[in-house]
Amino acid sequence: MLEKTGVPTETQIDSAFPNETRLNEGPVAVIECFQPIPCNPCAMACPRQAILPFADINDVPVMDNDKCNGCGLCVMKCPGLAIIVVDINWSETKALIKLPYEFRPLPQKGQILHALDREGHPIANAEVINVIVPANKTPVISIAVDKDLIKKVRNICIPEDNDSIVCRCSDITVADIQSFIAQGYTSVDELKRITRLGMGACQGRTCIPLVMRELSTALKKPISELTSGTHRPIVKSMKLGDVAAYGGKS
Amino acid sequence: MRKTADIVIIGGGISGVTIGYFLLKHGAKNVVLLERDYLTAGATGRCGAGIRQQWGAPLNCRMSQFSCEFFENAQDELDYAHGIEFHQGGYLMLATTENELEQTRKNVALQNSLGIASKMLSPEETKEIVPLLDTKKILAAAYHHKDGHLNPFHTTQAFANAFKRLGGEIYINTNVTGITTTQGKISGVDTEHGHIATTIVVNAAGGYSQAVAALAGVDLPLHSERHNILVTEPVEPMLSAMLMSFSLNFYCQQVPHGSFIMGRTCPDQPNDLRITADSSFLEAMAKTITDVLPSLKNLRILRQWAGLYNMSPDKHPIYDQIPQLPGFYLAAGFSGHGFMMAPATGLSMAELILGLEPTLPWKQLGFNRFQSGELLLESSVV
Repeated sequence: MLEKTGVPTETQIDSAFPNETRLNEGPVAVIECFQPIPCNPCAMACPRQAILPFADINDVPVMDNDKCNGCGLCVMKCPGLAIIVVDINWSETKALIKLPYEFRPLPQKGQILHALDREGHPIANAEVINVIVPANKTPVISIAVDKDLIKKVRNICIPEDNDSIVCRCSDITVADIQSFIAQGYTSVDELKRITRLGMGACQGRTCIPLVMRELSTALKKPISELTSGTHRPIVKSMKLGDVAAYGGKS
Repeated sequence: MRKTADIVIIGGGISGVTIGYFLLKHGAKNVVLLERDYLTAGATGRCGAGIRQQWGAPLNCRMSQFSCEFFENAQDELDYAHGIEFHQGGYLMLATTENELEQTRKNVALQNSLGIASKMLSPEETKEIVPLLDTKKILAAAYHHKDGHLNPFHTTQAFANAFKRLGGEIYINTNVTGITTTQGKISGVDTEHGHIATTIVVNAAGGYSQAVAALAGVDLPLHSERHNILVTEPVEPMLSAMLMSFSLNFYCQQVPHGSFIMGRTCPDQPNDLRITADSSFLEAMAKTITDVLPSLKNLRILRQWAGLYNMSPDKHPIYDQIPQLPGFYLAAGFSGHGFMMAPATGLSMAELILGLEPTLPWKQLGFNRFQSGELLLESSVV
């Protein structure tokens, strides 16, 4: 699962979380790092040694949850963006999640955003509580979400302008695609034929993943269940004259 | 999915949707269209979409005249907001041999006698219309200013929407797995999503019409041929007329979007329904087109694909009821020009099925001609 989709299993996620008592005691880091790779900035980042020193650089991090105060220094250091901080009792109804976020533009404090699950689907609205932009490290965005979403929300998305161009070869916007999906064009091939998206110079390399995301959201189907349409030769565009010259020789 | 229908059409290409539209327009009720994949997934979505009235047989002239006039008014008749992109930039048929020149002259005379205002052009006059053209091999050309090309996807969708507005139902992603009969007559259609009881089935499955007929145990005198096509990057408008030549073996157009689309007939193509692309086509096409339009040599090819021509023995379609199986109708065998004839197909099939007086001479397009040996000859098919 993780290897194919980048999404960990529920068992893996549960294993990364501290127990309920610790969660209730205050902010705590949650490290969703499951693959042994040569990487250790998190252990070096923690001033309280809450992330135990590594015996080998390939180790996956292990936490002493009692030492962690949820400061978030490890969040901005992890190159894999695998660490968040969760404060389940931030308010009566909301939990606070501190997320690493490397896209631009950065959100603004007080802004209402889409909270995304691990597959990138919007699942709730989230208010931006704080934005920390450290020099040369990953910005950390604090968002307030419903308490039952702490194991689901892992990213944010600034609501898009629907006039954003998805297919740059044929100037097809998000709004165009959403409108055709609503009219019943429910596969990449159908959208391609009716709008010409994916038929330009990029041959779908730029737009098809974005189109699949729109289809996935509209049809409530995971991207893994969608097909990316027919890929046609030639792989790279060639001049008619070059092909003609080659044909003459063969 | 509904359990019964008065008429079931198999095939969601241009023929299927036009037949559905004209049936409802002429009073039929409870008409259902079944498509295995999605609308235009077969030959319709793969075709060159040229529209011409320049034919060598009177029947094709009549059919295409009707169709072209329909396309001219389709915007109003079908009420389709996007439009069908009917570009009437003219159609040039280039003659490069004495025989071809002779035949082209005869065809133009025939067309003129039927009210089609085609005319012969000298190489110089031809070059005025297509400045890109290298005229060294060209003896003359036939030209008709009202011919052109249109967008097959939007045209199909326009008919499909109109069909649905009149009460028709379309089921896409619905494969037909069987055709049932009772006492030698059609009794229904089995699909992967259930059975529909009906006494009338219309086979409009294009390249797959033999396979659909075989479900009812019917053997058709048709076969499907793979034809290749390619498209280039879009550029500024520079070719208004569609170009075609039988002797040079090509057709070429620049669509309103700016891309050039071109195709030719290649030898040794498989006839087993394969539609994978053929690299030998790419080479031959590039060579042909850069000879005729040398300045295209710097134009980049983006993509090639293939589709099926459903070939009949005399390269004319069959519009008829299967003689040995009442209720089983066929509109197939278009031999590469089903798209441009689609309005004629829709009207003719509706008149045939509903027992109406013929507007067009579709009675000549029955199975009889194969028994009687009165094949219809057409010189102008690429």
